[in-house]
Amino acid sequence: MKILVVIPALDEEESLPRTLDETRAVASGYDLLVIDDGSRDHTAAVARAHGVHVVSHPFNLGVGAAMQTGFRWALEQGYDIAVQLDADGQHDPRDLDALVAPVVAGACEVSIGSRYVASSGYRAPRLRRAGMMLFSWIVRAALGQRIADTTSGYRAYGRAVMEVCQHEFPKDFPDAPLIIMLARRGFRIVEVPVTMRERSAGTSFYTLGKSLYYPYKNLVASLMAWLQRTP
Amino acid sequence: MEFLSRTQVIVAFGALALAVYVLDLVRRRRLSEEYSFLWVVTSVVIALLGFSTPLLRGITRALGMRFESSTVFALGLAFAVAALLYLSIKMSRLSHENQVLAREIALLRWRLEQSGPPQGGA
Repeated sequence: MKILVVIPALDEEESLPRTLDETRAVASGYDLLVIDDGSRDHTAAVARAHGVHVVSHPFNLGVGAAMQTGFRWALEQGYDIAVQLDADGQHDPRDLDALVAPVVAGACEVSIGSRYVASSGYRAPRLRRAGMMLFSWIVRAALGQRIADTTSGYRAYGRAVMEVCQHEFPKDFPDAPLIIMLARRGFRIVEVPVTMRERSAGTSFYTLGKSLYYPYKNLVASLMAWLQRTP
Repeated sequence: MEFLSRTQVIVAFGALALAVYVLDLVRRRRLSEEYSFLWVVTSVVIALLGFSTPLLRGITRALGMRFESSTVFALGLAFAVAALLYLSIKMSRLSHENQVLAREIALLRWRLEQSGPPQGGA
């Protein structure tokens, strides 16, 4: 089974080499693709110097669009599974095998690397934790399924999911609304315990402005994903 | 014909001038016919109301308003809201299309890079 690790990166020239080296060292069986999402630093050059494929957006489009580019590339190159791995080092590549395992086994189409399934030592700030609980509750109300970590970006997507997501994927914050949308289309979602670390360097996709917009956008999008008819 | 108030005449001529200006923008290809439609329709409606006191009075009574001028302003405001909503819808679509195009460019550029440096020279 061909598995691709998609690494969306925005101005990550400092942390990307470490992430690429570590991923190569502990998870050598995976191909890597860096999506340079309009970086102004040398992110693309650093990635190319590490010998990985790089697709560069002409300008910043957001993490959702970066994943869509990754899905499209993965489909065109014949990959069966795509995993999102953050460039900033928050996602531990040692969890990759465990994350893709249920998708490889056919137990689900989407697996989410969760901080809350088992004790991982991760402690989110209070406000963020409240948001996570709220959206976890919304997902449960919409689907009747408990997803503890709706905000985790550490996920593995099967090919059928990529086919859908290359066209339909939230531009930013692909969290609870995406989970609701995918589950309503009949895709099975499971959570896998993973370890999350502090970001090592670079710019987070989540700026102050976005963190104010985040609750509104996610609430509306979740509600719409719940109400929208599935094709 | 009832006597037209000065305000009515100013509003009516202003609306007509706007319609003419919008059509001129279309003529100079600075505004598409599609986007001019809402402007021209609204200008003509406002102009008609300005020139026809009985029509304006009738609409004012039907809407339960006390003053004719309020009717004109309410209609203008309704137009502004409709235009803004229309533009927001258009902008959302354009923004989506822009994103799809940018992603397409990124993938094409990758393919170009894989095919090697451009062949050229004399």
